[in-house]
Amino acid sequence: MWLVRPAQPGDLNDILDIAGGQGPRMSSTLPKKEDALSAKIEQSARSFAGTNKADEPKRFLFVLEEASTGKVQGVSGIDARAGNGQPFYNYRQDALIHASHELGTSRRVEVLYPSHALTDHTLLCSFTITPELRGSDAFELLSRARMLFIASHRELFTDQVVVEIQGVQTDDGKVPFWDSLGRHFFNMDFETADQYSGLLSKTFIAELMPPNPIYVTLLSQAAREALGQPHTQTRATFKLLQQEGFRGGCYLDIFDAGPVLEARTDALKSVVTSHPKTLHAANTDDGELCLISGGEGEGFRCTLTTLTESLQGEVKVPLKTWECLGRSSGDKVRITPL
Amino acid sequence: MLVIRPLQENDLDALYAMAEGAGKGLTTLPADRELLTKKINHARETFNQRCAPEAGLYLFALEDTELKRCVGISGIQARVGLDEVFYNYRLSVTVNASRELDVHVRTPTLHLSNDMTDTTEICSLLLSSSHRGGGTGLLLSRCRFMYLDDFRKHFSEKVFAEMRGVSDDNGQSPLWDALGSKFFDMEFSEADMLSGLGNKSFIAELMPKYPIYLPMLPDAARAVIGQVHENTAPALKMLQAEGFNFNGMVDIFDGGPVVEAFIHNVRTVREGISRHVMIRKKPLDMNVPAEEQVMISNRSFRDFRVTTIPAECIGLDTVSVPAEVAEVLEVESGDRVRLAPLKDTGRR
Repeated sequence: MWLVRPAQPGDLNDILDIAGGQGPRMSSTLPKKEDALSAKIEQSARSFAGTNKADEPKRFLFVLEEASTGKVQGVSGIDARAGNGQPFYNYRQDALIHASHELGTSRRVEVLYPSHALTDHTLLCSFTITPELRGSDAFELLSRARMLFIASHRELFTDQVVVEIQGVQTDDGKVPFWDSLGRHFFNMDFETADQYSGLLSKTFIAELMPPNPIYVTLLSQAAREALGQPHTQTRATFKLLQQEGFRGGCYLDIFDAGPVLEARTDALKSVVTSHPKTLHAANTDDGELCLISGGEGEGFRCTLTTLTESLQGEVKVPLKTWECLGRSSGDKVRITPL
Repeated sequence: MLVIRPLQENDLDALYAMAEGAGKGLTTLPADRELLTKKINHARETFNQRCAPEAGLYLFALEDTELKRCVGISGIQARVGLDEVFYNYRLSVTVNASRELDVHVRTPTLHLSNDMTDTTEICSLLLSSSHRGGGTGLLLSRCRFMYLDDFRKHFSEKVFAEMRGVSDDNGQSPLWDALGSKFFDMEFSEADMLSGLGNKSFIAELMPKYPIYLPMLPDAARAVIGQVHENTAPALKMLQAEGFNFNGMVDIFDGGPVVEAFIHNVRTVREGISRHVMIRKKPLDMNVPAEEQVMISNRSFRDFRVTTIPAECIGLDTVSVPAEVAEVLEVESGDRVRLAPLKDTGRR
């Protein structure tokens, strides 16, 4: 059975293993260095427990645990406020019409404007999973457990949720957008810059980018083609988020030009379709496969279960689900179809 | 004899022929009769002080007194960018630095600028191919500095010249191809011509206004920024010898450099002297090498005349000139004239 729960200090080594197995890109939101990761887990624990200091940003880190072995196979996160108190950088793809009245001509000029507009929106981040599980039910559980957490802790989050999708990268690890733009200002390849980004902060790196708008026409062709395009390996994530109600808009990642997806929090599929129910026991494994979550703050758990619903707002689930959730009869839970 | 004088109405045909011969690249003097007529009229108004000093366009003709024909032209525009907007790119540097990352990167950047607004420009130099060599080009160009110094209140303290940038034999400019063409639906030559005809508003409307980071341009385009066309190299050398320097501005189309100098620092001005005229009876060999010639100006605003005489004419208080020289200069004995070496003497 798969279980999603808040990350704990004991998960450190498992998470390091997963982060290390992902190639360079995942480091930007999930540090590969032990100290940094350990600090991040502790910050997450304080966020779940509600014991952050007043000015400490709330950042939640979830893990996907194989219940039978206790082995952690994936991580996902939510930053309550994108930027975590610092500016959150994106490019906004926009257009200007350069028109000459005298010559009677006009031309559409595409421009990338540095933007902080998404700062303080709730951000889904740090999604990392063992490669074999990509696209599986556990994959969906790990991603959507966050929406259920948001649904049951709605007051902690803002009205808009955003998520950055990794942009185009060639097989040999080159990022065309970075090579055409960012590289000139750092004198380093994407991988190195990305490592710094994970080590320091993305804002720190972003502030070294050129402060002025960029004309798209001056980018290389490969970079232009990469604008707003997801990395091939993110296809499953991309699809899942689209089903959840996320849409790409005009915002792009400033390093790789990957799309930034946006959704209204209260319109997320998991938020709309999940309902608070009362937990009861079932004798059989029959019924529809659903996501089920229960518990608050650090007691939050989410798993997959078969269930049957009554008309009185009660759900019957197998006992092993109770154990997994750490809940018992009469407790409130939240369910949503897989 | 070759003499500088204000441009006149009857110079139109000669001017048109020269403009036509110059081909593309001379943006301020396109071969267009209507436009040239306008320019001549503007110059006439200026010399007759019938237009505001800041609107002045001073066009000088080089006349061959034997042919009785204009064989060259040079000009001064009193102020640029007053009735239209005058654009350049300023070549500057953006620095990215972070101690933590051990990063210190300098990025050359072009900023669209109007910094030359209200500055005096020397422009429109054109010399008929039949009269090139022997210092004639120097006379045509440098006579302007004598004028600028004598009538300083009509001009800005600083003067500049835009030098033609690099383009190939087909008129293709590497900078235009990499930058301008991405924003304009036209060829370099067409844009250049439109600009020369005075239709500048299209530049403001179509040109990119945000800074251009040079590393994003191809090497071929970056290589020509601040470089002159090979045909313009002698003109650049001449201005450098006069004390002009690249001021960091480049042409927005072809990347040609802008060079500037303060009038009081220009060599022709610094080395200028003034003398009383004496009409000379003694015979004089006028055919001396350019090194031994000096420019002589009558210092007249309205009827400006400059020609060259051998340096040996200069005395302690006077300059003795043959009667025919005094005649073309429209001076008499006792008038004060201004003199300056035609060629760089190497004196500092």
